[in-house]
Amino acid sequence: MRIQKKITGFLVLLIFFFSFAGSLVPSAQAAEAKKTYTIATDTTFPPFEYQGPEGDYIGIDLDLLKAIAEDQGFEYRLQPLGFNAAVQALQSGNVDGVIAGMSITDERKQTFDFSEPYFESGPIMGVDANNSAIMSYEDLRGHRVAVKTGTEGATFAESIKDQYGFTIITFDDSPQLVEEVKAGGSVAYFEDYPVVAFGIAQGNGMKMPLPKEKGGSYGFAVNKGKNAELMEMFNAGLANIKANGKYEEVIANYLGESFASEGGEIEITATERMSGFELIWNSMPAFLKGMGYTLYYTIVSLFFAFILGLIFGSMKVGHNKLLRGVATVFVDIFRGIPLLILAFFIYLSIPQALGFTMPIWTAAILALALNAGAYVTEIIRGGIQSIDKGQMEAARSLGIPYRTAMRKIILPQAIKVMVPSFINQMVITLKDTSIMSVIGLVELTQSGKLVIASTYRSFEVWLVIALMYLIVITILTKIADRIERRVSRG
Amino acid sequence: MDKVKVTGLKKSYGSNEVLKGIDMEVREGEVVCVIGPSGSGKSTFLRCLNLLEEITAGKVVVDDHDLSDKKSDINKIRENIGMVFQHFNLFPHKTVLQNITFAPVELKKQTKAEAEKTAMGLLERVGLSDKANAFPASLSGGQKQRVAIARALAMNPDVMLFDEPTSALDPEMVGEVLGVMQDLAREGMTMIIVTHEMGFAREVGNRVIFMDGGYIVEEGTPEEVFGNPKHERTISFLEKVL
Repeated sequence: MRIQKKITGFLVLLIFFFSFAGSLVPSAQAAEAKKTYTIATDTTFPPFEYQGPEGDYIGIDLDLLKAIAEDQGFEYRLQPLGFNAAVQALQSGNVDGVIAGMSITDERKQTFDFSEPYFESGPIMGVDANNSAIMSYEDLRGHRVAVKTGTEGATFAESIKDQYGFTIITFDDSPQLVEEVKAGGSVAYFEDYPVVAFGIAQGNGMKMPLPKEKGGSYGFAVNKGKNAELMEMFNAGLANIKANGKYEEVIANYLGESFASEGGEIEITATERMSGFELIWNSMPAFLKGMGYTLYYTIVSLFFAFILGLIFGSMKVGHNKLLRGVATVFVDIFRGIPLLILAFFIYLSIPQALGFTMPIWTAAILALALNAGAYVTEIIRGGIQSIDKGQMEAARSLGIPYRTAMRKIILPQAIKVMVPSFINQMVITLKDTSIMSVIGLVELTQSGKLVIASTYRSFEVWLVIALMYLIVITILTKIADRIERRVSRG
Repeated sequence: MDKVKVTGLKKSYGSNEVLKGIDMEVREGEVVCVIGPSGSGKSTFLRCLNLLEEITAGKVVVDDHDLSDKKSDINKIRENIGMVFQHFNLFPHKTVLQNITFAPVELKKQTKAEAEKTAMGLLERVGLSDKANAFPASLSGGQKQRVAIARALAMNPDVMLFDEPTSALDPEMVGEVLGVMQDLAREGMTMIIVTHEMGFAREVGNRVIFMDGGYIVEEGTPEEVFGNPKHERTISFLEKVL
């Protein structure tokens, strides 16, 4: 009877959990009425997409997309996810299209349908402006170069690395390439021409000793055989804005008049370098917003983790072998899978396999809650089992039922044991939210990445972000300590 | 009339058989002391009488309720069987008064006010009226055990089980606890006491049971068992402890 109740309760919770997750997915019918396309983009690929001074996304891709959508009269919602996450989200059907300075390659054509090319690109080598030792590919022999995953720069570097005898290190974001070269880990980086040129224009302290290589072109992508009407509109719109001069206007806006008209060189006029204080002052609103999200996701995840922990924790200390086994499997699985993999699995693999879409934040909260839930289960089990068996026996010998004894005698004592571990878990989960930036969740770490993407100022940004985590966690632990003292006194 | 009747009681932990077939009964108002070497199964036997240990085989009937019957409501039966533990097992997060009133109020036997009145009466009986609002941590071992007895009595049980109630006490505190138990016996409470206090068993017990190796080896009046033990193992045990 008791077990039955437990199972029913558990099922109710599961249903609640998933219907909650499900309610966040816009229903198919609603989408049918007025189709709003979800279009993913990179977060850090200036001048094609990056965060402007006000924290909004700007760039060539986004301005072109906007102009085309206006021309064709379709609605879209932009999701800046990062390049890899955007491509994976497209594959898994979580988004309808990707515009992210994506090179059209034969390999990608196997999986995606591309629009007419909207930008002619090509890889180029960047080196530190003060470095006069690297003037040709020959000078790279015995050194390391940095590339960004999936770019033409990466493909090109790969194709010549044996010929010129250098090694390659791969990064996820363009600014990391510059940081790597600045830090001296690599002597040069290969990246798409407009990106390198734009970075230099922003004053990132790099130079281009060689002309650009012949390269491919960028296209807008949809899943193969899907969203044909969106692709048609994109191509028609692109032709229209090229004809009416809107296209040139956009390009000139980012790369200068001469580039647009001559189809060649970028005018490099280094902008004035902001002071560190100015940079941080300007970015602070974005950081504070990011911190707000971090706290929000922490609280919501811990709430669900706590419910999961209570359910599986009580299953673990109970007498039913089956339920104990279920709880053990739960803990083993979610404690055994690295959070990063769990996030990818929930956000990308499950929706792909089952054919539905899941918002990033739902996936992030699920991953954090399941991971923390496994640990909370163990905290609760450990807390309960740390209480002397005689306490339960004394209560039962008076005729008190198991559940009442658990609730009124064991738990009040066990909670005192658990509180320090709960505080610890809170700090861990708060820090773990930063891992969710890999699937594009906007929180404090992601806010930092975005600012670095457009400013190339990683030292100042990561210093401030680290301090912000430190301050918030210190404040929270102080508050928690006070609560703990009150709990153990009362 | 038999308050407690045990027939063919067996208890095993895995392949280790601790109780190998116990038969005994306790009449109303009788005080039975169970003695024997450690590991003889006497504590396990006592804990079977309120099902703190599951029964492997046999039958235990307390107050006409069959404990071995899976259908019987064990919580209901336990309300009538008080138990006092070697290590007191007071609830450390509750005051002395709350320890005593917890079960009667929780199980809706009494209102909070009634339960507190009863509890104060019991505390007076065990000589601890002034400790009502103290927490267990501030009490001595002897005081703790007296509170534990009061807590068990608050449910107004028909039978009281004592599991080595003085073994964890400093010698100078044994007397105060045995004193309370003696009063209880005099008032006609049916009691089963696992104990190492041979003097107490001889003086207060109506009957003494000697257990060894999972069996009842010998039983009888204190005079019979202590004065004229018949069995070899009883004799050698008593030689060591007396």
